[in-house]
Amino acid sequence: MNNDIGPNDEEEAGNMAISGEPQVFLFLSELLGKKIIEQTGKELGRVFDITAEFLEPYPLATGLTLGSAQKEKPLFLSWENVVEVEENIIVAPGSADKLIELNLGANELLLRDDLLDKQIVDTDGAKIRRVNDLQFLEIMTGLHLVHVDVGFRGLIRRIGITKAMDFIFQGLFDYQLPDQFISWKLVQPLLSPDRLQLSITQNRLSQIHPADLADILEDLDIKQRKAVFQSLDVETAAETLEETDPKIQVSLINDLDSEEASDIIEEMSLSEAADLLGDLPKAKAEGILNEMEQDIAEDVKELLAHPEREAGGMMTTSYVSFRPQMTVGEVMEILRTEAADVDIVYYVYITDEQEHLLGVVTLRDLILADSGTTLEEIMDERIISLKLDDKDDTIADHFAKYGLPAIPVVDDDDKMQGTVMFRNLLDVVAPHLGK
Amino acid sequence: MDKIKQLWKKLLQTGLWKLGLFFALIGPGVITSNVDNDAGGITTYSLAGAHYGFSLIWILIPVTVALIVIQEMCARMGVVSGKGLSDLIRERFGAKITFYLMIILLLANLGNTLCEFAGVAASMEIFGVSKYVSVPFGAFFVWWLVVKGNYKSVEKAFLLACVFYLSYIVSGFLVQPNWSEIRAASITPTMNFDSGMLTMAIGIIGTTIAPWMQFYLQSSIVDKGLKAESYKYARMDVIFGSITVNVVAFFIIMLCAVTLFHNGLKIETAKDAALALAPLAGSYASLLFAFGLLNASLFAASILPLSTAYTICEAFGWESSLNTKFVEAPQFYGLYSLMIFLGAGIILLPNVPLIAIMYYSQVINGLLLPFVLIFMLLLINDKRIMGKYVNGVLMNIISWATVVILNGLSAAMVISAFMN
Repeated sequence: MNNDIGPNDEEEAGNMAISGEPQVFLFLSELLGKKIIEQTGKELGRVFDITAEFLEPYPLATGLTLGSAQKEKPLFLSWENVVEVEENIIVAPGSADKLIELNLGANELLLRDDLLDKQIVDTDGAKIRRVNDLQFLEIMTGLHLVHVDVGFRGLIRRIGITKAMDFIFQGLFDYQLPDQFISWKLVQPLLSPDRLQLSITQNRLSQIHPADLADILEDLDIKQRKAVFQSLDVETAAETLEETDPKIQVSLINDLDSEEASDIIEEMSLSEAADLLGDLPKAKAEGILNEMEQDIAEDVKELLAHPEREAGGMMTTSYVSFRPQMTVGEVMEILRTEAADVDIVYYVYITDEQEHLLGVVTLRDLILADSGTTLEEIMDERIISLKLDDKDDTIADHFAKYGLPAIPVVDDDDKMQGTVMFRNLLDVVAPHLGK
Repeated sequence: MDKIKQLWKKLLQTGLWKLGLFFALIGPGVITSNVDNDAGGITTYSLAGAHYGFSLIWILIPVTVALIVIQEMCARMGVVSGKGLSDLIRERFGAKITFYLMIILLLANLGNTLCEFAGVAASMEIFGVSKYVSVPFGAFFVWWLVVKGNYKSVEKAFLLACVFYLSYIVSGFLVQPNWSEIRAASITPTMNFDSGMLTMAIGIIGTTIAPWMQFYLQSSIVDKGLKAESYKYARMDVIFGSITVNVVAFFIIMLCAVTLFHNGLKIETAKDAALALAPLAGSYASLLFAFGLLNASLFAASILPLSTAYTICEAFGWESSLNTKFVEAPQFYGLYSLMIFLGAGIILLPNVPLIAIMYYSQVINGLLLPFVLIFMLLLINDKRIMGKYVNGVLMNIISWATVVILNGLSAAMVISAFMN
């Protein structure tokens, strides 16, 4: 687990200070509720919340509010007036006249209302955590938000029983509860949906592997899930969607209009796209197909015609095939330009004019062969293939028996129709494996 | 004919009927209600019937209304916010309040789990199995099916077994009660202010409206991932469930009233009730009663610890999923195992004061309920969470009235517990 502050991180936060200057770490929970007192001794009230501006890398405290923002606009005092943070918050004389109604800037948020006790995504550990406390570094330039406290120690600090718990753990187990901080730089806040856009302007979610991101999406509530998903760029969204549970896929796509949905689905692999469209309500699926690029839409429709658990429904039609007379050099040339857009590059299929499957060549064969050799000379003619209507258990048997990464699918006339990748089989079979 | 076919096809295509049917049959509301008819519930209903005859049966009508009002709010919050109740409480009321609330919830649910294992012991003793065999076996079974088995299908199996509750209804008709007397008793509130009857009335309310239910129901609704627009199905489900639980309660009370009360038999536990039924209503009635108790106890014993672990982990942001390994979610599995271990373990202690434990677990539930209900009302009226789905004026009057009455009764029970 990545709960402790890495040495580099601490150092970096420290470097923000001019050397020699004293630097103090403060917790939000310690600041809230402090009295606000002018240097003259006049008491203005107590801190209810602290506002901060989203700056890179660390947000900066911009002011404090004297009341809750839940019902009406509370009084607000800019941080410029703060002279010192001690037992109380000491502000400059005359601050009482500078109290104004809270008016949040476009890039500002309320730390207590928006972050404390809420959920955040730890982008390094790829997990959703709950914010127990926030830690600031106080330096000359102001109060910077540097760490998010997600640990048990932060929780007991909030409850106000740190001393008692320390006594118990020290006394009984000779153990000091450790702090669990995450650097602000590795955190993606999940604000309430109407404010989420703000925090996602610097989207750190793309640092997470799509498979982990899919898990996170599944753990979020519907509103946050929708907001987070829609904040992703098309490519990440497509990769994440491929890894997501089918039910959630459908609800996410249902929330988009056909145009946005088609952009994302075009980026998905063909067989995944077909599965997803097959799960959607008919009208929605047709709307999306109409928006999609013609050739992709046609390929998907072809796959949709077959049941999901048969080879025809599992296969992808996004593969490359060549005539037997082509040379390895020519093939490599074409592959280099095509590879980005096809689902499977490891196999090159050799077919005649009528698309009859004649043989296969692996990428390894191609790399090892001289560029002048024709495919005919190196192709493997002992073809292992599946029929369009082969069921998942037959397909699984084939994969188990021959240990191939992909198996071509032919129709009754031995014409090549597509290829089933091992991954596609796994997607269909894995949910039924149980625990 | 073609027109009918077309209409039928259209109906099928909308898929709405499926959703409606599905929710009416095995929606979260129905599941929650069936868990609600747990060992404690069956015991309380039997005692109420045996000691007071029909005179407390009217109370089920206001209880049904209260249950619908409260569960409807939970369902609405779950659908609209997409978050569990403990999640909302943590985000709205902060760490401190949540922490203490969760400690009390843990204690209350531990008490409830204990009652469930007591129910397992009692029902199996009717079949002649010692508690030293049945309780460890039951505990292991519950632990195993949740950790190793497929929880969802087990849930359905339990639910199917709840069909046996129909046996209460059938038995209710078989004993040929005086229906007009029952009808009169159901609509005329009678209450003697002797402390026993008052305690029994509060007991019925307390066992039907328990704090854990609100957390469990809301999480299950969230799990279903409904959109706010399809909320009406969730509401149907909750209303259907609330009525089911009270219909079953009605027949248990009636059965015990007709047989035990009219013959002047005094009983102390559900086991007594089952045994006493044999000579009066036949040995099948007795065995069915015992089986119903066993099913209810095991069902609730498998859900309560799980629900508690989920609720607490959700509030504190700990990993909570049955799909993770123990080391990845130590708090979740720890809490879950602790609940089962303590719940079953305490029953096995020799000379354990079972009646006292059950009584105090009711008191803790009574302490907790007002807080949970008030938090719920504050949350459901929070525009930032509920948007346009906040309570209307009428709903607020009904729900505040319900909550004030329930809280008054809870307070009465807690105070009387401390006075004794």
